[in-house]
Amino acid sequence: MPTSLQFATATIMGLPFLAILILNLVNRKTGNQLALGVGIIVAVIQMISAIICAGLLWANQKDFIDFSIFWNMTDSAFAGRLSIDFFSIVVLFCIGMVSFISFLTAKQTVGDKKLNFTNLLMVIMLGMNGIAVVTDLFSLYVFLEITGIASFVLIALFKDPEGLEGAFKYLIMSAIASAFLLISMACIFMNVGSLVYSDVAAAMLNWQAADQPLFLMAAFIFFIAGICIKAGVAPFHGWLPDAYQSAPAPVSVLLGGIVTKVAGVYAIIRITSDVFSGVATINMILMILGTISIVFGAVATLSQKDFKRILAYSSISQIGYIVLGISTGSPIGFLGAVLHFFNHATFKTTLFVNSASLEKQVGTRDINEMGGLEGKMPLTNVSTILAFLSTSGIPPLAGFWSKLLIIIAVWQAGAHFVAGTAVFASVFTLAYFLFVMRHVFYGPLKEGLEDVKETKGSLALATVLLSIVTVGFGVLFPFVLRFLQAQGML
Amino acid sequence: MSFTVLAIIVAAALILITGFYCLVKSRNMIRMIIAIEIAMKAVTLLLVFAGKVSGNMDLVQTFIITMIVMEVVVAVVAAGIAVSVFRHNDSLDIDKLKKLNG
Amino acid sequence: MTQVIFVILLLLMVIAAVAAVMVRNLIKSAICLAAVSVFLTIILFLLGAPLAGLFELSVCAGLITVVFVSAISLTTPYKKEEASELAKKRLARFIQLPFILALVAIVFGVMLAFSGMNIGIPYATPSTFSTFKEVFWNMRQADILGQIIIVLAGVFAVVVLFKERDEK
Repeated sequence: MPTSLQFATATIMGLPFLAILILNLVNRKTGNQLALGVGIIVAVIQMISAIICAGLLWANQKDFIDFSIFWNMTDSAFAGRLSIDFFSIVVLFCIGMVSFISFLTAKQTVGDKKLNFTNLLMVIMLGMNGIAVVTDLFSLYVFLEITGIASFVLIALFKDPEGLEGAFKYLIMSAIASAFLLISMACIFMNVGSLVYSDVAAAMLNWQAADQPLFLMAAFIFFIAGICIKAGVAPFHGWLPDAYQSAPAPVSVLLGGIVTKVAGVYAIIRITSDVFSGVATINMILMILGTISIVFGAVATLSQKDFKRILAYSSISQIGYIVLGISTGSPIGFLGAVLHFFNHATFKTTLFVNSASLEKQVGTRDINEMGGLEGKMPLTNVSTILAFLSTSGIPPLAGFWSKLLIIIAVWQAGAHFVAGTAVFASVFTLAYFLFVMRHVFYGPLKEGLEDVKETKGSLALATVLLSIVTVGFGVLFPFVLRFLQAQGML
Repeated sequence: MSFTVLAIIVAAALILITGFYCLVKSRNMIRMIIAIEIAMKAVTLLLVFAGKVSGNMDLVQTFIITMIVMEVVVAVVAAGIAVSVFRHNDSLDIDKLKKLNG
Repeated sequence: MTQVIFVILLLLMVIAAVAAVMVRNLIKSAICLAAVSVFLTIILFLLGAPLAGLFELSVCAGLITVVFVSAISLTTPYKKEEASELAKKRLARFIQLPFILALVAIVFGVMLAFSGMNIGIPYATPSTFSTFKEVFWNMRQADILGQIIIVLAGVFAVVVLFKERDEK
């Protein structure tokens, strides 16, 4: 194996371990000072190794890379491999990017818990990297649990009553979802004898002819229910607004930007395309769930006053778009879903960083208490506008392209009503966001807000970087589309 | 199918329903954690039954061992959150945790 | 003969689980949970999964009970006046459980018995220690890594959640 591949795969599963070791072997004070710096280095190296893997895939013209850890077992026929393909690379890059932004946010908001925060964030990075590369259903469950445990503790990091409540609710619903997933795995195992993705996919192709078809159908239903609870797809989203609202600022950035998506939507996409691809009804079920999510998320933001809660419901809506894209089963839909995954990581992270800035400078998250901040916080104003426009899918920003691809795919699949609903929900989202903007930034300056200053330091840097990515991606994407068309992939 | 097989599936379903019923209806946080553990026992029973039916008992034993490790860590974290809530509110009642609206 | 033993063990397991839900005292509830684990261990041994049964006994019937008892000792649930009030309402809330269970058992059992499914138990090579060792260490490496990571996560969780520091 070329050394660049070894380097890249070692950093995915091994580098956070090394970071935890380094941070905990020195004494506490040094650990606290070094923690965020080490974390930023790890996140940047992860982004670089994701790009290296992409380059390797492109250079060797392969579809996926297999690798193994601990010792070389590629000669054994049943080895449980880890494999990276194109979608995993996008996910790994997003994990690195959002973790980097989360560390920048944590610089100003975490206080003296830097060492604990970094330790837990390294664990959650290991968990998410694991979800992105495994090829076995049970290993998927293992890494989902790791991500979940680290998230519960991160939400409850400051042990404030709100955080503890959000963490406990999330824990209970996540435990129910895990029980469903395990029941489904037991039913699948009865018929198939192994839980590797390829074996299960082969067995599901003619599932009526299996030993106990009723059990396979029950397995399928339990699996969809369990994974949708973890993903926050409506109507299983009960824990999501509470968890997002009550988490500390850098943890909300992490949760909203990447954790819920990797632990949920990525698993749904992987299962749909690799494992349950033989079952015919999965597309219809996912389309229905996706549409419900889109509409519910867009409408439920109306009655909310807390800025982070608005963002949480908007996340439910955007996750619905990704699920809708994957439910069409066409390459355009898949590409749109992957792209929307990346775009959502960008614009939702921007919005959460801005909410952290607002909370730090103004002191509240209630939109009714804010007003007229555009003169005081111009940078936050501009980046929030860009992120909201990208969310609603306005050209030439990045969100427009992914939503366009998804809606085209849905239209081509024949579900015209669903496509119309998706467009309408997008317009509705835009209208509501303009309303929120008017409340927070425009209009007369509310009393008591005279000495609000602009954010500086790491929060400002984070916002600027993400806005550049949003605009740049949106402008450059047509060239990527033309390139893909020339390659014959569309 | 033989009576034992039927009994195992029905027993697993009953214990699962017991666990979820307790989870939904109880007000004490620690009892909710006990309910999650009961549900996990039912899932273990179902897993070992699946192993017996498919004939591949080694793999299922690894699954069960790993699952038990996960379960312990979830129980410890949940107990930690419950104790922290107690230190704030002086009560383990889940109805008192209504600070977040909706 | 083994069939009868199996059915008795399963019945005891269900009764212990219902008892864990319905007793009032939290420590007795934790002990009923340990009893469920003990019955599950015996069933695991009888079904041919001795290693899993070993783990289940030592960890679930031992470690988790200790965790629960220590968590219960660190907290007292209710004050005296509230406790007696809640106790009366509690029976009313939970009394439906045995009836629901009996109903589900009869309906589900009949449905399964007459569904015509044939779940046979094939003769399999018995699971010995050496075959298990091969499978565990060669095939499930991702799981081993996952176990290490989750124990690390548990350690960090305990450090964050259980430490009481002066917030002055």
